[in-house]
Parts: sequence; structure tokens; C-alpha cells
Amino acid sequence: MKLVKKGAEADIYRGSWNGKSAIIKVRKPKGYRVPQLDARIRRQRTSRESQMLSHARSLGVTTPLVYLVDTEKSAIIMQDVPGAVVQSLPDDDIVGLSARMGRMVGILHRSGIMHGDLTTSNFVYDGKQDALYMIDFGLSQNTCKPEDHAVDMRLIKEILNSAHARIMAESWKKLLQGYARAVGYERRAKIVRLVSVIEGRGRYATVV
Amino acid sequence: MAGMTTTTTTTTTAPRSGAAAARKKRMIGLGIESTAHTFSCAIMEKTGYDRGRILSDVRHIYRPDDGEGIHPREASRHHVEYAPEVLAQCLAESKTSVADIDLISYAAGPGLGPCLRVGAVVARSLASFHGIPIYPVNHAIGHIELGKLLTGAKNPLVLLVSGGHTMLLAFLDRQWRVFGETLDITLGQLLDQFGRALGLASPCGRIIEEMAQQQSNDRQPGATPAGRGNGTGESYGGGVDGVDDGSSGGKSTKRTVRHRQQQQLVPPRYVPLPYTVKGNDVSFSGLLSAAKSAAKSDKYSACFSLQETAFAMIGEAVERALSFTGKRELMVVGGVAANKRLSAMLSEVCRRHSCRFFVVPLKYAGDCGSQICWTGLLESNVKSGAAMSDTFVTQSWRLDTVRVEY
Repeated sequence: MKLVKKGAEADIYRGSWNGKSAIIKVRKPKGYRVPQLDARIRRQRTSRESQMLSHARSLGVTTPLVYLVDTEKSAIIMQDVPGAVVQSLPDDDIVGLSARMGRMVGILHRSGIMHGDLTTSNFVYDGKQDALYMIDFGLSQNTCKPEDHAVDMRLIKEILNSAHARIMAESWKKLLQGYARAVGYERRAKIVRLVSVIEGRGRYATVV
Repeated sequence: MAGMTTTTTTTTTAPRSGAAAARKKRMIGLGIESTAHTFSCAIMEKTGYDRGRILSDVRHIYRPDDGEGIHPREASRHHVEYAPEVLAQCLAESKTSVADIDLISYAAGPGLGPCLRVGAVVARSLASFHGIPIYPVNHAIGHIELGKLLTGAKNPLVLLVSGGHTMLLAFLDRQWRVFGETLDITLGQLLDQFGRALGLASPCGRIIEEMAQQQSNDRQPGATPAGRGNGTGESYGGGVDGVDDGSSGGKSTKRTVRHRQQQQLVPPRYVPLPYTVKGNDVSFSGLLSAAKSAAKSDKYSACFSLQETAFAMIGEAVERALSFTGKRELMVVGGVAANKRLSAMLSEVCRRHSCRFFVVPLKYAGDCGSQICWTGLLESNVKSGAAMSDTFVTQSWRLDTVRVEY
């Protein structure tokens, strides 16, 4: 087992599972949190993530296959998907993938799932197969509330605005086009409106 | 120091000569801070492009009654009353006269309107009477720039935690970009509003920190100081900016200490409270309500649990932002940076990500004139002073809209 990445929440290892290359995601205890809180967070997120990975896949959103879940150790063994995180791709490619990302988010929302951590680092793109995967469902929730879906969209907008400032406008437009293909134009308009409501609530936001 | 005023007549070659000259010489700046409860003046010296030294930093802090928050009008009256004294003391301590000052900067926002106007009026009066260039400065940028100067951080992820802000920022393409922030109240407001519900004196951060370490006995309901404020009123939460001040809430602190001695001691226990992280963002309002109800049975445990939960949320948001941006430095600035438990948690986060950890020195964590002064001095590298008609104040002025040209 080799450490691939020390993520924010979990350590990611690469190993093998029944002869196939696999990713092992372990949510290790964090010393800075009180033990009760730490245990609660790790348990909840591991079970949620594993359930949602499978559920999303059944809806047609490509996600890694889950092989095994160990709730005791807060570990998930899953398919090792090839490719690179969208965050690291050249600007043009990110713009090119935006509509597809938007559509995947739309499919989740349409089915009452909020991803909870929509960033460009939670999409993996495999150029060879032209496959786009969605990962990291630890903060996902079952919710149909438009407000929650708007929180998702606001986060990806914030990330585009901060990490991908140069292509923000174009990428956001494409993302919304893809989103509308899944949820319809009426719903998209509603969510976009709610996104500005949330932004307006931000500290010192310009109130229009 | 007297020699400095004569250098203004040097080099007049290029169109931006003012800026070019400014880069070379030694500049003396006066900074005026009055965004919330603190009125402060500071004098700093800049040599070269970005080397600086604080010559004096004098503050006077408005104190609301125990259990109450900042009243903007009362705070601005306080500022008007103490402005001359603070300014005079600041000049005296730095052994500077107004004639030595090369530029004046003031906090133009974000903050409370009535308070901001006091600082702006003082700055404008001095600038126009003595013919000194004037620079309106963003208060939040000031926290960051002073932090960078004092800690030596080069390219950090910045955690700005105060009464007015809870934000994670990184610099990209001439602007500070937001990588996560609170969706409702700030960390400072959370602590202050909770503290006020317990009837503590604002700013409450330091007292809550002490109470969280103390031991509790929930069978003594009399241990709760009578609460007056409901904590839902105006709450710039100013409070926590300035937790470093020794005089803060002396009365309540004494009271809690006495109660502790009377009590049979039991360690504070962790009460489960709502933990809300949404991607890189956090939300504190649910936590506030739950902590207030938990405080009814045991306020020490509530303080402990509130700190543990809120700071763990910040810790997670920081981890997410660190891993997303790949930064190798974390710098914490703002009033809540003075909290030792928060620092301890964040330094552990940094160890995990092999990242260098910087905290702004305690004395300069809270609002102070130096942060304004230093930002003005940096701006003078590339800009000449603002026209008097542009010396505005803006209550809502997000720092991610400021172009940083220096």
C-alpha cells in the first residue's frame, strides 16, 4: 500500500483488491478534535460516502466502484479510476468539461442528492476513455431542498471564481447549460436565483 | 527624523516618479483605525519597498456594558472623545511631529458607518490642513499585510478570523481570493453572542477560553452571572478583536474565578453540538443556538464544547483549503488568532500537511492602527494619495474586490 495523497479529510493509498488496482481511502483519527466529535464525523462520512458512491452510479453518474467498506477503521476500498483531477487540467479543457460536470450535478440534484463538496478537485477526467468521474461524497446528503442544491452550485462557483478566475465566466455558463439539461430551465433559473440570495448573505456582500 | 521631510523634493524624472521615489526613501506613515470598537493610531516607518517598523501603536477600546454588544452610535462617540488623546500619545511615543509624516491612511471599510466616519474625519482634517497625501485602506487587507510583515510569511493561505470576518484566502492574480468563508455569522460573533447570552462582558473570546479550561459543577445554577443581553442585537462581534487587552471584562473574570473556588470540581465534558461544514465553507448559526441551550445546564461544558466544535470546523475548512491550493504556509490573523486553543489545533493541522504555521503576534491580532498604516505605506509604493473627494467610507467593502497593485 502506497500513500498517494494526504487529503483534507482522509489519507488516500493505492493498493490492490482481488488482483485489481484499488484506492483505499482512510479517515484517520484527528488528534485536534475531541474524540467523540472525531468518531462521529469519521463514522458518518464513511458510511455516507460509500452509500452515495453506489447510489450515484446507479443514477448514471460515473463514480468509482466500491469494493469494501470498513466502518470500524473508517476505510473504503474502491476502484482506482485512471485520469487527473479537473483542477489540474489546462484552462481550455476545464471549459470543455464544464457542461458535462454541470449535467452530472444536475442528475444528482434531480434525484434528491446534494454532493456537498463540489470543487474542481472532486472530478477526475480520464482523457483516454473520455470518462469523467465524480468523487468524494463524504459531505453528501439526501435533500430535495432547492436551497441545498444552490449551496452546491455556489461552492463550485466560488471555486471557479478563486482558483480558475481567468475562465470563470465561460466555465460557469457552460456548467449551467449542462445543469439545465438535467433539471430543466425552470429549475435552473430558480437555483441561480437562490445562488445570488446566498451570495448576498455573505459578509459585506454588495447588496444589489 | 527631521531630515525626512526634505527628501520629498528629490527625483522628478518619470511620470510615476512619486511612486518611484517613494520606493527608495524612508517613509513615515500615520494609520488611523476606527472600524468597530477600537480607535487606534499608529506611526510606522517604511524603508525600501516592503521593510517596515512600528514606531508607536496606541489604542483606546470602547467597552459596552456586560452582556451587551457594540452600539454603533455609542462607539462612535467614544472614538470622537478619545481621538485627540490617542493621536497625541501616538505622536509622542514615536517622537514624531505631524510635519514628519509623509502619508496618512485610514480604514475606509468594512465596518460600522458611524465609527468609520470618525477615523475618516480625523484623517481628512490632518491631511488637508497639513497637505499630507491620504490613503483609504481596506481594514481586512490591513490584517493580512501587517500579519505578513510581522510573521515573515511569504505566500500563505490566510485564515482571517475576527469579529467581522471568517475567511480563508489565497493571493492569485493581483487579488486575494476567497477559498472558504462563513455562510452566516463569523467566529468572533459566535463567541461574542454566546458570551453575551451568558452575561459576559464583550469582547468575550478570552473569558470563554478561560472558562473552557476550567472545571465545572452543574449543580450550582447560581454560578451563571445574570445575563442581560439576549445576544441577538447588533453584533459586529467586535469583541473578539482585542481579546489581548488586559482590561477586558475584569469583573466577570474575577467572578468566575471565585465561583470555581467554591465549587466541587468536575472536568468539562463534551456536549455534542451541530457541526456544519459545507465544502470549504462553514456555518455557525445552528451551533450558536445549540450552545446557548447547552449553557443552561452547564456553562463550562458549553464553553468547552463550543470551542472544540467551532475550531474543529475551522480546522477542517483549513485542511480542505490547504489541500486544494497546495500552499506550504498558513497564516492566522484577526482578533480570534489570539485564542491559544485555536492556534494549537491549527498547528497540528499544519504538521499533518507539512506546512509552516504563522500566527500574528498577540498584540497585533486585534484591530490596530498599524494594520492600516502599513497597508497605506505599501500602497504608496505604486499610488499617489487619493483626491479628497475620493476619501470615502464603505460599510460593506469585501476584501476580494480590492486590486492589490504593489
